[in-house]
Amino acid sequence: MTLTPLDELLLFSGVTVLVAMLLGRRLPAGWMVTILYGIQLLALMKMAPLGYGGEAISSALTFKVMGQTLSWRFDALSWYFALITLGSALLSSWYACGEWEQRFRQSGGNLWLFHFAMTLNVFSMLILLASGDLLSLFIGWELVSWAGFLLMAMAGGVATKAAMRYITYAMAGAMAIFGGIALVYVSAGSLQYEAILTAASQMSTAHLWMLVILFGAGFGIKMGLMPFHLWQAPAYAETPGPGSAFLGAISSRMGLFAILLVLVKLFGIVNIDSLKIPFTLIDARDLLAWIAVFTIIFPTFTAMKQNDARQLLAWHGIGQGGYMLLGLVVADAMGAAGGLLHVFNHATYQAALFMAVTAVIHRTGTADLNKLGGLVVRMPLTFMVLLVGIIGLAGLPPMNGFVSKWLVYRSLLNEGMPLLFVAAVIGTLGTILSVYKLIHNIFLGQLRVEHDKVKEAPWSMMIPMLILAAIIFITGLLPGIPLAWVASVQQAVGLPVPDYTLGGVESASGSLDMIWVIGVLFAGFGIGALIFYFAGGRSKRVHQLDNYAGGHFLTADVRYQYSDNFYAGLMHLIGGWYRGSFLWLEQSVKSLVEFLSLGMQGLYRRANAEFYLLSTALFVIAWVVI
Amino acid sequence: MSSIKQIPVITERKGNPLARVFDEFVRFCRSRSLFILHYCTGCGAIELPPAMTSRFDMERLGIQPMVSPRQADILLITGYVSIKTLKRVILTYEQMGSPKYVIGICSCTVNGGMYWQSYATAKKLDEYMPVDLYIAGCMPRPEAVLAGLQKLMDRIHSGEANSWEDYFRNYDYYLGNQQKLFGENWQTPTDIITEAKHYDLIGEGTLGKHTQLLEQHQKPLEALDMRLGHDLKEPTE
Repeated sequence: MTLTPLDELLLFSGVTVLVAMLLGRRLPAGWMVTILYGIQLLALMKMAPLGYGGEAISSALTFKVMGQTLSWRFDALSWYFALITLGSALLSSWYACGEWEQRFRQSGGNLWLFHFAMTLNVFSMLILLASGDLLSLFIGWELVSWAGFLLMAMAGGVATKAAMRYITYAMAGAMAIFGGIALVYVSAGSLQYEAILTAASQMSTAHLWMLVILFGAGFGIKMGLMPFHLWQAPAYAETPGPGSAFLGAISSRMGLFAILLVLVKLFGIVNIDSLKIPFTLIDARDLLAWIAVFTIIFPTFTAMKQNDARQLLAWHGIGQGGYMLLGLVVADAMGAAGGLLHVFNHATYQAALFMAVTAVIHRTGTADLNKLGGLVVRMPLTFMVLLVGIIGLAGLPPMNGFVSKWLVYRSLLNEGMPLLFVAAVIGTLGTILSVYKLIHNIFLGQLRVEHDKVKEAPWSMMIPMLILAAIIFITGLLPGIPLAWVASVQQAVGLPVPDYTLGGVESASGSLDMIWVIGVLFAGFGIGALIFYFAGGRSKRVHQLDNYAGGHFLTADVRYQYSDNFYAGLMHLIGGWYRGSFLWLEQSVKSLVEFLSLGMQGLYRRANAEFYLLSTALFVIAWVVI
Repeated sequence: MSSIKQIPVITERKGNPLARVFDEFVRFCRSRSLFILHYCTGCGAIELPPAMTSRFDMERLGIQPMVSPRQADILLITGYVSIKTLKRVILTYEQMGSPKYVIGICSCTVNGGMYWQSYATAKKLDEYMPVDLYIAGCMPRPEAVLAGLQKLMDRIHSGEANSWEDYFRNYDYYLGNQQKLFGENWQTPTDIITEAKHYDLIGEGTLGKHTQLLEQHQKPLEALDMRLGHDLKEPTE
């Protein structure tokens, strides 16, 4: 048996878990783990041809369980997601080494558990991404769920509560997936992808509906699709800093990976398109698209109301997942490329944003948006990273988020879906408003007296952030680099592929060349700068208390930063729409379950052995007779 | 200095013959794009909404309201100026970037008007800051306001409206009047003397005994420097 590159990758990943587990209590564990992530990334690079349309690589390891062959393989889809996973793991782990680590240990955090949980997450994600049939997919899925739970719950307190909520959702999702797998097995007789592909085209409508609902709900829970989105934001926000950067970057994209694999690749988007909902004009695909759009809008506008920077970002993580699904559901060349590209772009800027916010927490001790302000003069580099990140998140040029969102919008217009387009734009509006709140309340405005001696984040944290910021800009300038990987993913799952160039896409209905866009943008800045400097370039810095407040004389003890009840005017208009309906829904389901369990409890507490015996016997007789 | 006419105006410029054309062009542009900060101290403010809105529409003259002094060109003071308000007016005036113009609307800014006998009202605005234009009346109608604004535009175009230079050239006089009213500890965040040096407008009247008094107790507000923090030195107390 010879080791394939995939085996090497999984082996290195397993070794990393072992190292973190056995040597995690030693001092340079963080650096060791980071280097091992780097080695994993190198092993992944050995499979780089996959990202450019290479042949799928199988693992040498296969075995049979109850007549089912379990196998692991990497194709372009797995490679693309693995690249993002390992990249974000490497940078978050690098970020955690050094000063953050020391502070974390001093404040009573369990560093060993942190590294162990991170490595376990990466390992289980790679296993999931490498799954070669539905059974190994399910195994990987469960591993990812529990590894995620470990990372989310480790902070204790509120985090444990959030993680418990997550695991409840995740288990419900796993049950749905398991039910779906059982249904597939019944109809296809096998769990191999090839067998399912042939069986999918002959499935009855009712059968396909069941599968779409079961798999959609199961994978959708991980993605935080409406109405299963409530668990995600608190769970990610309460994870220790670099952990939330990693989770926010990639963790919930595992749901998207599975949706791509099962709903798009195996069942085929055309089959799903044929599922009509009776008495309405929409089909299952429209339903998915609208779920995606509501997943964009509601969490984004919830993010706008958050007063904790990490919560705000975590809510955006849910909302941006909607864009990815929306692009994939449109499923034309541009839309699918946009959705897939957004996975990469989102990972880069979300990690950068979480890291920047963690750096602020590291220096000031709080992420409360009402207790910060004016930090741009004390943490200018962190400010730059956050600025680059929010431009990406809001989908504005010259950062990479613009490209993927442009592709999704373009495809919605091309395919004649104006209502979805308008809804997606409303989501973007909410994004822009809330990221402005984020940067304003942390970095702009009045510097507080207690933050006067705050320093810039240490270099061990700064360098990964700067690397991410550079990636965000470079892939915004040259989106052709990730688009090449995306194109081979599209080929691998059977979606149409757009004509991509180094600077964007070519299309008869409208091309995008980011090199031109950014060139024109910077030329505009350049002309402005020329005029300014030729006219003398005179500027004057003034003290922050030399400010206009209706003519009042400002003093340091008076707060004039407008941060609480941000967007009061907008809230006056839309405030009534925040009703917590989904919380209410969750509560009512919880109450129902509690009520039922109380009833059951009452039943077995009676301890009437004869009654149980009698009822069991009756059930058995009834079952046999029927 | 009680008359604006006494301010020496440099009319001849040597060197580049295009400079005069350029100056003319700059003055033309300046007079056609004016942002006003209306510091509405009294009843005269009620005449501004009709002047701004569709009936009289001062935007057709290129004049628009502005919310902050840093971007504003005209400071419009509409009514009586109590001593307490005057402090704010001066703070706001000093925060404005040059060139800046002051218009006093209503009789109260000219001579105290019906508040002549009040102990708490500053009678003449131009004792505390140079005023380009008064629009008298109690209150002046929007037509009068617009006529006044047009007059100011003409003066900006012809280069006569440069009373803002007077504030730098004769700072000592204005500061003295301010100190007389507010006490010796009076100071604003803006450092006028440094700014006068910046504009090269240090005159004979810039420094004097009042500015000496100011320098004795002035606590300068230094701008926050942007710093990376790694070379942060502990401040020496």
